[in-house]
Amino acid sequence: MSADTGSFEEIALGYIDVVYRVAVGLCGKSVDADDLVQDTFLKAFERFGMFEQGTNCKSWLLTILRNTWIDRLRHQKVVGNVVSLEDDIIDQAGEVDEDVKLNSSELLERFSDEQIIKALKRLPHEQRLTLLLIDVEQLSQNDVAEIIGVAVGTVKSRVSRGRMELKTRLESYAKEMGLTGGEK
Amino acid sequence: MNHLTDEQFEDIMQGKDADLRHLSECKDCQNALAEKRAVAKRLQMAFKSVKPDASLEETIRGRINEKRRQLGLVVSGGRPWKTRLNDKMWSTLAAAAVLFAVAIPLAIYLSASSSAIAGQAELVRIHEHNMSPHTEFFSDSDPEKLAAYLKDTLGFTPAMPAEGHGLAIRGCCIAHFKEQITGSYVVSTPSGIISIIVVPDTPKDIAMDRMPAKKGYGQTFWKSSYAHCNMVAVRLGDYTYCGVGEISKISHEYLRDLLNRLLSDTQPS
Ligand SMILES: [Zn+2]
Repeated sequence: MSADTGSFEEIALGYIDVVYRVAVGLCGKSVDADDLVQDTFLKAFERFGMFEQGTNCKSWLLTILRNTWIDRLRHQKVVGNVVSLEDDIIDQAGEVDEDVKLNSSELLERFSDEQIIKALKRLPHEQRLTLLLIDVEQLSQNDVAEIIGVAVGTVKSRVSRGRMELKTRLESYAKEMGLTGGEK
Repeated sequence: MNHLTDEQFEDIMQGKDADLRHLSECKDCQNALAEKRAVAKRLQMAFKSVKPDASLEETIRGRINEKRRQLGLVVSGGRPWKTRLNDKMWSTLAAAAVLFAVAIPLAIYLSASSSAIAGQAELVRIHEHNMSPHTEFFSDSDPEKLAAYLKDTLGFTPAMPAEGHGLAIRGCCIAHFKEQITGSYVVSTPSGIISIIVVPDTPKDIAMDRMPAKKGYGQTFWKSSYAHCNMVAVRLGDYTYCGVGEISKISHEYLRDLLNRLLSDTQPS
């Protein structure tokens, strides 16, 4: 290990905001998100000796976060899916009319942050994670490809489809909430 | 006219070099790009105010310090280990932690003279394997199906605890323990995930320590801690049932209670 080695807390815990944001994007604001963050840092601590100092710690942590999360989903799947009822509000909107289109950023502004995060939470897992890493965390496609373990092309198509899917969900939500009046 | 592909849009969004001639002439693609950018920006804004409570970081620091204590990395003076350690000290301790967590299990595993401890290392490895997202897992929460699967593969059906009270059997996995095929299954509990690993070796063979007798517990239970895991074992029929869980979540007492339930609930067939 090099002479400029820092402690785990100095190096890794500095990314707690990033790790937390992604965890909330994956699990919603919940105890689950807190648990995911804790487990990620604990696992990272155990493996810190294998972390190559000077390399991208953020990506390293997000890889651990992703694996921990997938692990949980896997186990949840075995016990049966646990979906919080409060999230269903987004799903109730149903099909979208052709004329309800989110083509103005003004309309996007009418959603609360919480509603956006909830809509995101309804996306397929890998799309959601990819979208979070690209659009929210502004990581490069290469870094995301490495974190998720897929080709760069897959990252591009996932983020593109994810954004489209999010938009569709928000459109149906807008219709449900009557937010679209006067908009075209 | 060919519009931009999703891939080209994404490259433009990332500021990568892209051929922008079509975009400069095509209103549809300009609109599509503006729309994508608006959604991306709104999504990013939605997370601007998402910040962890200070208590979360405190909890993590506490758990890390707890882990250091378990690994024997306690800093003298009892002062909580924060960022005051100098670099050299950290290097040494981190190296020690890695040795403890990685190299020693491996070294022990390879050393014939300590095959008893190697048994514990293998139990931890099987537990970790069960937790890994890449594991071939027969995942069915129906205990009867799991039992049938284990019987098929192992030739006998291990005892399993009745579900309920927060206990759920999540699946089972076949692994090798000391070159022999071994069954294990995973129980989710309110405190965390536990692997129950069934091996022919006696608790003594695996160098476990006898737990003090406890009222209401007819059987002798054995315990040990290895790497990041606590484990408790009990002999049942021709097999030893080893419960393995993370030290940070699962105590020896908790494991003993679980195994005791297993004894009273079912008998192996
Ligand atoms: Zn075009």
